[in-house]
Amino acid sequence: MTDWSESTRSAPISLRRETFRERAMDRDSFLRQLDWVLVAAVAVLCVLGCALVWAAAKPQGLGSSYLKKDILNIAIGSSLAVLAALVDYRTLRAYTPVLYGASLIGLLAVLTPLGSTINGAHSWIRLGGGFEVQPSEFAKIAVVLGIAMLLAEKREGRTEPTRNDILWCFGLSALPVVLILAQPDVGSVMVFVITIFGMLALSGIPGRYVGGMLALAIVGAFFVIHAHLLHSYQLARFQALSHNNNSVAAQTFSFNQKQAGIAIGHGGWFGQGLGHGTQTNGQFVPEQQTDFVFSVAGEELGLVGAGLIVLLSGIVLWRALRIARYARDRFGMLVGVGIVCWFAFQTFENVGMNLGIMPITGLPLPFVSYGGTSMFASMIAIGLLQNVRVRSNT
Amino acid sequence: MPDRSRLRLVVLGVLVLSLVATLLGRLWYLQVLNAPQLRAEALNQQIHDIVTPAPRGEILDDTGKPFVDNKPALVVSVDRTALDRLGTAVESTVLHRLAVELGTSYTLLSNETKPCSYKKVQTSHGLEVTSSPTPCNNGVAYQPVVVSQLKPTLAAARKALQIKEKPEDYPGVTVELTGIRHYPKPDGALASSMLGYIQPISLGQLDKLPTADRAIYQNADVGATGLESEYEQDLRGVPGVKQVSVDHLGAVTGTVKDTPPVPGDDVVTNLDAGVQAALEHELQAAINAARSSHLTADFAAGVVLNVRTGGIVAMSSLPTYQPNQAPPTLTTKRYNQLLHAPGSPLFDKAFQGASAPGSTFKLISSSGLLWDGTASRYGTYDCSGSYLGKTNFEGEVGGFESLHQAIVQSCDTVFYRLAVADWNRDNRLVKEHKPPVEGVQRIAHAYGIGVKNPGVDLPGAATGHIADRKNQRLNWLALKKDYCAGAARRTRGSPLQRLDAFNCKDGYLFQPGDQMNEDIGQGTVTLSPLQLAVAYAALANGGTVFEPRVAKAIVSPTGKLIKRIKAPVRDHLPVSKIDLDYIRNAMYGVTHEQGGTGYGVFAGFPMGRVDVGGKTGTAELTGTSQNGSWFASFAGPAGQAPQFVTVIEVDKSDQGAVSAAPFVRNMWEQIYGIGGNKALFPNGVPPTKLPKVRIVEAGPPRHHHAHATVSSSSTSRATTSTSTSTTPASQAADGPPPALEARTERRGSAQ
Repeated sequence: MTDWSESTRSAPISLRRETFRERAMDRDSFLRQLDWVLVAAVAVLCVLGCALVWAAAKPQGLGSSYLKKDILNIAIGSSLAVLAALVDYRTLRAYTPVLYGASLIGLLAVLTPLGSTINGAHSWIRLGGGFEVQPSEFAKIAVVLGIAMLLAEKREGRTEPTRNDILWCFGLSALPVVLILAQPDVGSVMVFVITIFGMLALSGIPGRYVGGMLALAIVGAFFVIHAHLLHSYQLARFQALSHNNNSVAAQTFSFNQKQAGIAIGHGGWFGQGLGHGTQTNGQFVPEQQTDFVFSVAGEELGLVGAGLIVLLSGIVLWRALRIARYARDRFGMLVGVGIVCWFAFQTFENVGMNLGIMPITGLPLPFVSYGGTSMFASMIAIGLLQNVRVRSNT
Repeated sequence: MPDRSRLRLVVLGVLVLSLVATLLGRLWYLQVLNAPQLRAEALNQQIHDIVTPAPRGEILDDTGKPFVDNKPALVVSVDRTALDRLGTAVESTVLHRLAVELGTSYTLLSNETKPCSYKKVQTSHGLEVTSSPTPCNNGVAYQPVVVSQLKPTLAAARKALQIKEKPEDYPGVTVELTGIRHYPKPDGALASSMLGYIQPISLGQLDKLPTADRAIYQNADVGATGLESEYEQDLRGVPGVKQVSVDHLGAVTGTVKDTPPVPGDDVVTNLDAGVQAALEHELQAAINAARSSHLTADFAAGVVLNVRTGGIVAMSSLPTYQPNQAPPTLTTKRYNQLLHAPGSPLFDKAFQGASAPGSTFKLISSSGLLWDGTASRYGTYDCSGSYLGKTNFEGEVGGFESLHQAIVQSCDTVFYRLAVADWNRDNRLVKEHKPPVEGVQRIAHAYGIGVKNPGVDLPGAATGHIADRKNQRLNWLALKKDYCAGAARRTRGSPLQRLDAFNCKDGYLFQPGDQMNEDIGQGTVTLSPLQLAVAYAALANGGTVFEPRVAKAIVSPTGKLIKRIKAPVRDHLPVSKIDLDYIRNAMYGVTHEQGGTGYGVFAGFPMGRVDVGGKTGTAELTGTSQNGSWFASFAGPAGQAPQFVTVIEVDKSDQGAVSAAPFVRNMWEQIYGIGGNKALFPNGVPPTKLPKVRIVEAGPPRHHHAHATVSSSSTSRATTSTSTSTTPASQAADGPPPALEARTERRGSAQ
């Protein structure tokens, strides 16, 4: 507030009204406070994403139609990001329960005939007019905000969350996780698990709890691997029924991964050139505008282009970590950490499955893969990060 | 912020950094280190070769008449990958429908189009490779399989049109106009076994090709027998390869490279369709004549050879098969019938079979006896009725006479006496540990008989055989076990048991009787009519022994001479010119002199115009009282050196003068235009210039792949001009169908 008094003091000397440019360039203005490195990294990722989605859909003759829809998604997403950045996150925190409730309703709706019968894919709700939403993407935001809210509650005499808070966290996240497991969308469940764990660990809970949760995760993973057999079987059977599947049948998993590997290897240093990848144009890799869009980057843009995507994603994570580090309060810090965990795991999982080092799931690559809801959620997350950043040094 | 959180933020940062580093490292591995291998895999699945077979070269006679060409046919093919994509139900419906349309069975169609699968199976004989039910598709999956060839008749065209007009009923089925092998039978001449046939390449042949070529020739037809096999490299041409890029479903998305096929070259032969037709006609007449005298006459074989060039003008063995119904196009049943038919139509007795030549061999024995000094042009020899228990078989009893008369009358006892003298001299040499002279055998080898190299441009030609002391011993060592086993097994005292017992004990011995039999063309002597023709040609041309050739030149489809083929000279006879002239004169005596064995046959022949010499042969055959009858003859315009040799052999018939010689006379009359015949060669000389090959215009070569493509799939694909039939030979055999055992009729030489 000292700045404000200084500017009032200087007012008599210069009576003219500040221009928009001057206001924008003011040291403390909203725009100057934004993390422009983060904005730039996201923007470049979006541009690359547009090009790759076009190249991936081109062989089906849908290049320009996908490109237009992708640009529209980016536009809508950017608007949502601006909104998420403008409203003070402390105000947002008050509405978190509402958001959380809404996303639960969305996830429940997916499981009703409303979700499954229209599209065939369990994760989707078709809204009509060509719009589809994937409630699990929005649920990621709701859970990040919800957990942050819980763990940032002011308590008498102590800074770190109590055991009660931790249990509340589990309870809060259990609902959406169970609902998403029922879809089943193992990839998203893993995003939730990693994100919640990361936020808990960073909230400052004692080390023994972190260790205990890790041990629990290992035991849990063991069960998941066994339960996974059942899941992939259900998945394969389910997908055999639908033509518009979001991922691929279990028995073709390894084939698809191999094809993605061939496409990436075919790219070499500089790639075959955008739109000239023979592996891409032959549609050897399935879902190449969504889950396997990175293979298109690998083939057509080579190590240079694909490496740039990995580096840019790294920059996004670095900036998010930095925002979390300098957040004014615990809530802001936890939101930042939650988003870092979410993006980090999702990026590693998606690129990793393209490179053949991670199992295949239906997780998109943030900002690059085609997909409206995923784009919106990722953009909102960027908005939230900017929100925390703008309000950190005030 | 608590310190704990701050520390954990650093940990999270390090974790994020390591994840990014992992991804970049893996990216580096795939795109730089492992790139060559992945790139190769990418090309392998993205680029497919579609092979268009090259139009095969033609085989022409000396005047340019085609013995083998290509004619258009409608070929129905099934694209298995396209069909598989539609699911089993559709596939079954389409194949059932197609089976009805083509008048074949669903099972057959289904098997034919299914890729062959091979697996190793443990049997009592050890590991064996078994194939999926035959017939199966030996080719590559994305290459359409030919299931039917329709002659371009109206009915067939209608069928093709039905398939073509309903692509929705026949997905994956194409009908194309393409070229198939055709044998036009110029002047009615078949020449079947000489021309040979083509059949789908076998796995064995495929394995011998360089790896790069295997995919290209996987569906190819290759020459299996005869000239088709011998000149495969020239006739084949280079298949066209169209490299197409395909998508993940195998559908063609573009053309990467398109190399058009290079048509194969034509083979111009020394064969003359007219003479060939005449020879086939005379051989049939010879068989008919013998049979009308209640003789068996299982087969007849003959050769007409140009004595000056070594070119084969005509050659035939009857019975034979129809060239347009060669074994690969036959059903198993029909093929087996042909395989076991009397006279073995699939086995050519003119160049593949060897049998005892009888007295026609006296050319070789007198050459040998004169050469090693056993006989002399000035000697007189006793032509008694019998000698050492052997009687005169064909000739008359003539008292003391010259070698000339012995040849003219074909007196065996003269040759017996000479053989014994020959044997005694050699036996003395052996006892003195000196090498035997063995003049007859030595000269037989010079004539090209009993040597390793058959020396003709036809696969599977006979080499013939003549025993001497060395190979007799080697044979005995190889067969001793069988002889001794036979001696123990057979009924004691039976003729065969006695023979086996003798051979078991003394089979290595070269007895005087062996030499006696040899000198009259019996016993261990076997040769093919072609070999005999080469020997008589050497006599006629003054001592040059050729390795005869059917082909004369390789000519490109545009008429350019690629290479001329000359019959190589195997040997120049070491026999002196005076001796050869002496023998030739005696051979002229056979037809000119009263008492000559061919005198009666050539009564009234205008020797003043065309001078003919020759020698009759009557070979005793085992197990029958009928004879192998031979006549070997040379002729040319009177006063000139002979131009041609004609040899005819008639199996199981009368004497050579009766069953063979008259038909040789007929051949001379037709070749030279005697007795109302039109001369087959103007001036009696075969053409020396190459015929004008019909020049093929550039563009779609010949009838091949005129691409009247009727494709119900979106991609047009080439088909092979393959006949896929049901014979086991066409599928399994590695080369021609199992050849019959060489027919050698040897007499036991027991004394």
